[in-house]
Amino acid sequence: MTMARSLAAWLGRRALAALVTLLVASILIYGSLRLVPGDPVLAVTGGRRLTPDQIAALRAGYGLDRGLVQGYLEWLGGVLRLDLGTSLTYQSGVTTLLTGRLGVSGLLVAYSAVLAIAFGLAVALVSAVKGGLVDRAASIVAALTTATPTFVAAIGLLALFAVGLGWFPATGAGTGLAGRLWHLTLPAVAMAIAAFGVLARVGNAAFAGELGREHVEVARSRGVSGGAIIRRHVVRNALAPLLTIAGLLVASLFVGTAVVETAFGVDGVGSLLVSSVSRRDFPVVQGIALVAVALFVLVNTLVDLALPFIDPRVTVGGLSR
Amino acid sequence: MLMDKETTARPDERDVLGISRLGLAVGSGERATPLLAGVTVRVGRGETVGLVGESGSGKSLTARTALGMLPPGARATGRVTVSGVDVLAAGRRTLRDLRRTRVSMIFQDPRASINPVRRIGDYLTEGLRARGVPARAAAGQALDLLDRVGIRDPRAAVRRYPHQFSGGMLQRVVIAGALSTEPELLLADEPTTALDVTTQAEVVGLLRNLQRDHGTGMLFVTHDLDLAAAVCDRVYVMYAGRIVEEAPGASLFAAPAHPYTKALLEASPSVHGDKAAIKAIAGRPRSLAESPSGCSFRDRCPLAGDDCAERVPAHRPHGASATACLRPEQVMP
Amino acid sequence: MTLTIPALRAATAGRRRRRPLGVTLAVAFLALATVTAVLAPVLAPHPPDATSLLNSLAPPGTEGHPLGTDSTGRDVLSRIMYGARLSLLAPLGVVLLSGLLGTAVGLLAARAGGWADAVLSRGMDIVFAFPSLLLAMLVVAVFGPGLTAPICALAVGYTPFVGRVVRSMAIQEGARPYMECYRVMGFGEWSVALRHLLPNMLPVLLAQSALAFGYALVDLAALSYLGLGVRPPDADWGSMIAEARSAILQGEPWSGLLPGLAVILTVVSVNVLGEHLGGAVSGKQRAGT
Repeated sequence: MTMARSLAAWLGRRALAALVTLLVASILIYGSLRLVPGDPVLAVTGGRRLTPDQIAALRAGYGLDRGLVQGYLEWLGGVLRLDLGTSLTYQSGVTTLLTGRLGVSGLLVAYSAVLAIAFGLAVALVSAVKGGLVDRAASIVAALTTATPTFVAAIGLLALFAVGLGWFPATGAGTGLAGRLWHLTLPAVAMAIAAFGVLARVGNAAFAGELGREHVEVARSRGVSGGAIIRRHVVRNALAPLLTIAGLLVASLFVGTAVVETAFGVDGVGSLLVSSVSRRDFPVVQGIALVAVALFVLVNTLVDLALPFIDPRVTVGGLSR
Repeated sequence: MLMDKETTARPDERDVLGISRLGLAVGSGERATPLLAGVTVRVGRGETVGLVGESGSGKSLTARTALGMLPPGARATGRVTVSGVDVLAAGRRTLRDLRRTRVSMIFQDPRASINPVRRIGDYLTEGLRARGVPARAAAGQALDLLDRVGIRDPRAAVRRYPHQFSGGMLQRVVIAGALSTEPELLLADEPTTALDVTTQAEVVGLLRNLQRDHGTGMLFVTHDLDLAAAVCDRVYVMYAGRIVEEAPGASLFAAPAHPYTKALLEASPSVHGDKAAIKAIAGRPRSLAESPSGCSFRDRCPLAGDDCAERVPAHRPHGASATACLRPEQVMP
Repeated sequence: MTLTIPALRAATAGRRRRRPLGVTLAVAFLALATVTAVLAPVLAPHPPDATSLLNSLAPPGTEGHPLGTDSTGRDVLSRIMYGARLSLLAPLGVVLLSGLLGTAVGLLAARAGGWADAVLSRGMDIVFAFPSLLLAMLVVAVFGPGLTAPICALAVGYTPFVGRVVRSMAIQEGARPYMECYRVMGFGEWSVALRHLLPNMLPVLLAQSALAFGYALVDLAALSYLGLGVRPPDADWGSMIAEARSAILQGEPWSGLLPGLAVILTVVSVNVLGEHLGGAVSGKQRAGT
């Protein structure tokens, strides 16, 4: 009874902390707009002559006709009703713009995350178990891929597989699930490369650390087969730290779509963010920024909540599970 | 490398453990580092044999070799048999079967020996499952084993995690795990060092009883000469990768036949004799690689003479012991 | 235990002895890049913006243009050399600023403790929730394209990266007996922090800075690649890659791949260097305990 209650209290505290982070982040995101030096509208119009009506419309669009606090509260009220405001360039709701593109970008992030995690951890495990030359080769590959930024990977893949070999399309998101996956393969690989490197390195260290533990040697001394040792002792025990890293990486992939969607001409949230930033379409930028931060906080909170269930030594509110 | 002449007990086919002239080195060629040389140890069926030495003397290494667990990059010479199976020549499969059925090892730190993220029941059934015992039967046996090592409420215990147990209780679990496969040979590597004194006595008692009940041979590795002398039928004393003396447990105190054994006895506080001052051994313990030519102990030995440098002394009988010393008669108790 | 450990140690010692080759290469490359950037006007074979439409998209190895030319006939080698200036200087600015900011915040949090520590630590958590590229894009949306605002934004974004380490080290070191000694001897808190704590933390700070340099370089180059960073006629490696896009689609990728290679080699080098510094530090700490 007390354990269930303390678990509930702990869950509540974690959720509250996440909410506070989100709230402060939303203030920062909204407030950043007010940092514009001078009159934001003049900065945006760049000296073009506008009628007073147009200027008033712009001011209203930016929320500049209200005070900072009032404007924020109205915006926040809208956010809670899933209304992120109206785009200044598209003349349609930000929420509509986003939901129409979240499918493509979500698929891209998921595709890329699966590639990075599957290949990264596989390479990490094999290199940690085999050691020697395999380990050295893997560590060199991991060092190079970690240092390969998404946009460099993107043009390299574009030059080789789209233009050179013609195996994959250079632009667009395709239609139908198969076509979509085919079109999104190069962008997903481009985004996955750096994350792959990080996971291969961190995973290798984690697996090698677990392989050297005495309980692994004990299991070996009992004649437990190699596969069972790796599954039950090495992978199982390295799961907690790896989940934390994987969570951070996946959350950062969302913003990474800005680069690959631009590079491969995919019409998703990322390319919308880039075009909105250059057009200074604040409501859209604010909306996407908020979604990105919310996603980051959500993924990390979920990982935190999962940890006590993966590692029994992690205590929940002072009591172990 | 000079070879010791083999004079101690010849390996017997019925022995559960027969280590004969075992040499071990890591690396190769010029850079090879010797770890063990001419180690001969035997454990008979149901016998308790002590292997005593300071840390770095190679005692744990010797015990691990019996399981075929050599340090990475190590090469072994000599012969190691467990219940007649040649361990050094055995393939992976043979070794695995050997470990599953005939030998168990208990390590020093029970907390490090059990996977911290798995339940106790899991640890106990792992060895059984590896031998092919069905899950349900293994779970039943696990309860039984816990009961036998004196853990209350086994049903609750199998569902707990290692961090919910004390060190002494955990070592009982480890012992239960080691006995789960009913081995012919038990290798106990400092099984009580990580425990406090009262728990030590309980664990040693438990080991002795179980061993007696099952007729298991035990190699008891420890740095504690008093403990070894009290528990073991025979004791091997190891220094710098070599066996320097072999003696019945009872006669070790009365008549040490190697100056190192004597020094070890004097270095430990005793409840047996008078309150003689504790004498530390001059110098620091050596590994085989850094020990001098001839007798490894000669640079720390009060009895050493020029002849000690000539060759590694062969084992020869002296009283109840076999000693690798040129002047055992000068070693006074 | 006993003898298996020296054996393992021998194995890791072997690995450590081989390591410096990578570190040497990394330092050599970074030195080369720095010299190239500083002396670009002297070393570059061509002015970086001298166009020649007759000689566009020449492949590497062309006479007079060892790395070829881009789609407007500008010399790729010269542009990489000039591009190194902004590509290296801007992340350096980020590292210096975030190093100062992070050290100040971390020390303040550690020394003040209590409420101030809680607020500062929570603040760092919140900044950490913003992916750095997003922060950079946010300020570009506010201030318009350019590198100054993103440099400041990234400096704030990387502050937790330094601040968390400084905070935990300051708390750790502060608890050590020798720190108590200084306090008893009557040194002020801040003078102890500046004269004794900071020098002890310097290796860790350098390691963190090297890694942060790599991240900042990638973020700023990505920003330029997206057309939100440097403005023409200035160029960095990111904007060179962006300009090569149409050439890549035409099957002439060199003017884009080569600056990309420069980015990768620089980031690999600072990562290797940072890890070496970090490894040396943790090795020293291990030896100390």
